[in-house]
Amino acid sequence: MSAGGAGEEATSSYSPQTMMGIGIIGGLVGIYLGALLSPTHPVLSFLGGIGAICAIVWGADAVRRVASYGLGTGVPSIGMIALGMGIVASLFGLSIGGSFAGPIVAFISAAIIGAIIGLLANKVIGMGIPIMEQAMVEIAGAGSLVIIGLCTVITGTFEYSAVIENVVAPGYIAMIFIFGGMGILHPFNANLGPDEKQDRTLSVAIEKGALALVVAGIASAINEGLEAAFVTALIGVIIWYLAFKKYFEFVKRDAHKVVGTGMLPTEEELQ
Amino acid sequence: MIVDAIIANIEWLALIVIGGVLISWSVHFVPVGGAPAAMAQATGIGTGTVQLAAGAGLTGLISAGYMMNVIDNLPLILASGAIGAMIMISVTMIVGTLVYVYGVGCVPASAKVKFDPLTGDRQDLYVSQGTEGHGLPTVCFVSGVIGGGLGGIGGSLIYYALMKVGIAATSAMTSDVVGLVAIFAVGIFFVNAVIPSYNIGGTIEGFHDPKWKKWPKAVVSSFVATIFCALVAVVAISQLGGL
Repeated sequence: MSAGGAGEEATSSYSPQTMMGIGIIGGLVGIYLGALLSPTHPVLSFLGGIGAICAIVWGADAVRRVASYGLGTGVPSIGMIALGMGIVASLFGLSIGGSFAGPIVAFISAAIIGAIIGLLANKVIGMGIPIMEQAMVEIAGAGSLVIIGLCTVITGTFEYSAVIENVVAPGYIAMIFIFGGMGILHPFNANLGPDEKQDRTLSVAIEKGALALVVAGIASAINEGLEAAFVTALIGVIIWYLAFKKYFEFVKRDAHKVVGTGMLPTEEELQ
Repeated sequence: MIVDAIIANIEWLALIVIGGVLISWSVHFVPVGGAPAAMAQATGIGTGTVQLAAGAGLTGLISAGYMMNVIDNLPLILASGAIGAMIMISVTMIVGTLVYVYGVGCVPASAKVKFDPLTGDRQDLYVSQGTEGHGLPTVCFVSGVIGGGLGGIGGSLIYYALMKVGIAATSAMTSDVVGLVAIFAVGIFFVNAVIPSYNIGGTIEGFHDPKWKKWPKAVVSSFVATIFCALVAVVAISQLGGL
């Protein structure tokens, strides 16, 4: 199954460095603000989700760049490996990082695991994608920030014991795994092709991130009360609406023509 | 503290790495057809490696976890995981074959070999023009069942080993341990399912496919990658004891 473009570099209007800045700084600032401010009011834990959205956008951009070369297999594989590496690294980081350094340790260990897998993919398996190492580092790092961001939304903190008790033990972690993976893999998978545009792809990433925020918000009801859950979900719905509207504008901009097909013809009309 | 955790669990680390390598090898047996197979233009099941490996492997994890709930016997747990994964992949392949034969209307035929190595049936005459084969011939089915079994054993090995680390750290099988171990097993499983899928370039028919001979590359890569994942997982799970 060949997916992605014709094996060439993707053209971008936002540079990889810009996207990396948005992902790392936006992600970490969102996570720390969410964790530091949520003791003052549980509603503010949604800031962790904003951080997760930044990381999802960055991850989706990295997937877009690497998958444009043609992975030989479907784009979903790279989203799944991102979250596979991300979940291992983020729980490790939270477990040894203590109550402050957790996200940073997680991010660094994700980057190391990503670099190793990127090197193996190019040197041992011989995929021959020039940006594979860098892209794997970015994708793993984004995956770990997404997981910690969404954990922060649910628990209001990223302390290991709280995350284990409120996210891992009830099984919300599996939901975070799939939603985070979806956010990173789906945008490019849905938009790939010769007319793929960066802004259109990334608007889907924001939309997917917002959906993850809605679900994480609902899951946070157990810990943080209905009010916080409702506000978080509402913020998610608003971001989703804006991003989806923007996406539809981009679709109309890039399409040759958008026409309605009308209703399906009835049996009499067909005769 | 971290070094102590690693030294104390060195045997479980080795089991995790063996499990990761088994998963990586198992993917080479599964007849993955990808998108072309979904249009009946290539032999195999019409979806990607990761979805298939995950479907079969996670079923194996669940059946292994269920067995581990009642008994602490490694061979039984491995058998349970292997059978679970084999049933899952077999059901997928039977339903796929039904769809290809009675829905799409094509005969199962391999484009990679002239005769089916197991039944000796002629293949090349039945391959439609312009396709890379279609459906699931006997050899692909058998190969897929072997792949499911290996993947199930690999997944349950990882689960068993991580569970032992968790029980040693907390001296009880609480939902914290089970949740953490399960998600680590899934994470390591996905990493080891994706690496070989890059090795085979997305599609493979089974052990009779020429691409199958490329497995050492993926196994070496998975070996190295799993060592790091296992170290990280063992340390994180041992920290449960200090909570």
